[in-house]
Amino acid sequence: MLVGLLPAVVIGAAVGLAAAGGPGTATSGIIWCGLVGAAAVAAAGFEAVRRGRALEWTREEAARQDAEHRHRLARQQAGMLELARNDLPQAVARMQGGEFITDVLRSYERQHVNNAGDEFHDFRHAVLRAVLDAVDNEEAMRESAQRAFVNIARRVQAIVHRQAIDLRKMEDRHGDDPAVFDDLLVIDHGNALIGRLADSIAVLGGARPGRQWNNPVPLYSVLRGGMSRILDFRRVELHPVSEVAVVGPAVEPLIHALAELLDNATRYSPPQTSVHLTAVEVQTGIAIEIEDGGLSLGEEGRARAERMLAEAESGIDLNGLGETPRLGLAVVGRLARAYGFQVSLRPSAYGGVRAVLIVPDVYITTAPAPSRAHGIGRIATTTPLAFPSHPGQPDSEAYPSGAGGFADTPPRPHPATATHTPAGGFAAASAFPRAVPNHAPAPVGPGLAAVPYEDEPPVVLERTANGLPQRRRHAAPSRFGAAAPRTPQPAPEPAPAPVAQAAPVPQTPAPEPVQPGLWLAAFTNGVNGTAPSAGQGGPGHASDEAAGKGDK
Amino acid sequence: MSNQDWANANPERLYVISGGRDRKSATAGFDLVTLVVARARPEPTMQPEHAAILRICGSPLSVAEISAYLRLPNSLVTVLLADLLAERRIEVRAPVPPAALPDLSLLEAVIHGLQRL
Repeated sequence: MLVGLLPAVVIGAAVGLAAAGGPGTATSGIIWCGLVGAAAVAAAGFEAVRRGRALEWTREEAARQDAEHRHRLARQQAGMLELARNDLPQAVARMQGGEFITDVLRSYERQHVNNAGDEFHDFRHAVLRAVLDAVDNEEAMRESAQRAFVNIARRVQAIVHRQAIDLRKMEDRHGDDPAVFDDLLVIDHGNALIGRLADSIAVLGGARPGRQWNNPVPLYSVLRGGMSRILDFRRVELHPVSEVAVVGPAVEPLIHALAELLDNATRYSPPQTSVHLTAVEVQTGIAIEIEDGGLSLGEEGRARAERMLAEAESGIDLNGLGETPRLGLAVVGRLARAYGFQVSLRPSAYGGVRAVLIVPDVYITTAPAPSRAHGIGRIATTTPLAFPSHPGQPDSEAYPSGAGGFADTPPRPHPATATHTPAGGFAAASAFPRAVPNHAPAPVGPGLAAVPYEDEPPVVLERTANGLPQRRRHAAPSRFGAAAPRTPQPAPEPAPAPVAQAAPVPQTPAPEPVQPGLWLAAFTNGVNGTAPSAGQGGPGHASDEAAGKGDK
Repeated sequence: MSNQDWANANPERLYVISGGRDRKSATAGFDLVTLVVARARPEPTMQPEHAAILRICGSPLSVAEISAYLRLPNSLVTVLLADLLAERRIEVRAPVPPAALPDLSLLEAVIHGLQRL
């Protein structure tokens, strides 16, 4: 401001001097002119200063706006970057994870980018929506394609199962005609292969592999079930396995996963080599090992295979399957993810691959598996404990106490002919389970049958529709658990035993009422938690009760 | 009906039990009434069906009976028996032939002779 006044002051001073030095008459004129001039200059100075300030202010304003725009641009850029790098992939992933598009959009609606402006937000949202819409459509298409796959697979499975049941009936019907029977087996095998393919498609479509099993199935049967679904099952060497059963829901996936692993093993090993199939108990469950003598999987190949398993476990893209050479591993990976199996592939000592599938504890039960396994199931490891070998004796007496093993199979309801005495003999021997093998009387007749079933109440007589007797096994633990402590008790009994108690009467009827109680006892024990390990405490307890009944 | 079937069905198929061998490999002439007796005791490493046969054949059983008890078709049981026979774990014998009756004409001759007395 003062700068603006300076010229006016100078003029004022000049006018003052002029007025002082000039003639008296001119003084007033000079002063007036000077004042007017000074005033004009002052005004001009003011104006110049004012304009200068305005200009400065405008410039500052412009610079500030510029900076603000830059900031905003940067924020928008960051917003876009965020959208591209994080939000969009996340949103797509969430969509693929099965969330609804509206939910995903709503959660992003609240995320405002600070000071980026509403318009920008709207645009951003529009982009997100457009992309998610596209993804949604894609997902829907994929889903319907998968559903179609699964649908078709289900129909094939239904036909295959129908066929399998029919074939089994035909096999029974034509069992006497070897030529027809053998041909039926061939068809049956082919049918099982088709079934496995349909199961694979269903699994890759994200569905369950196939049929449901209601009851536990013995592990041995499960392993053989897996064998029955591959082409080259003859080469599979099944080793004895422990007597456990697989709970119903896990049976089918396990069979299928095993079938795929066995198929890989037989397919990628020389045709003359055999594939070893074993199962051992481990800390976390049951480890099923499949070992082949084929080409060793190099470190690279192994890594690739394991990666394929891992990829399958994290969800598989149907589009990518076309190039996958070993389709089976994808299926195995899927099943492993769904059911918590652990699968690993390692080089084998035989030079090939050793696949280990660990079935978690939760799927393993030691409870009796009611599935009948052709009436024999768990015999794989039943050793007759009291088996006196009398090589010199005639046949019928040579193996009287095969009952150690036989005890779990019910005495067959033979017509009470004394000579034809498997029932009598075996039942008798079961009274002396292991302590007194040598005294075990050689089959002396049907009378003995009356004594012994208190120890072993396994006698389950069922008749099939056509009147044939049906044997059924029961829990392994009950046999060993109950038999061991009882050995002293029956010892005094052999004396009265031979006294023929004329008791073909209780022989058959008595065991039958025992069975329901036995099951119920095991059940209540399990429910009350009195016997936490139902497999061991339950049946043992139950057989005590049963024995009590038998005594009465 | 199918529910029942599904509940009782078994994952194993018969061809696995027979190990893929067919009847042609079974050379011994088994028929339904051939009697089978175990000569050895079942071992834990055996196939369950083999062990079961050895166990129930403590006293002689016919092939038909074995087949009924195991609920397996005859042809399959025959294959299994052939395995056991090859390992000499069982003994097989033909059923006792029905007593040979004397010739009908001889009987008539005897009757006539008696009537003439």
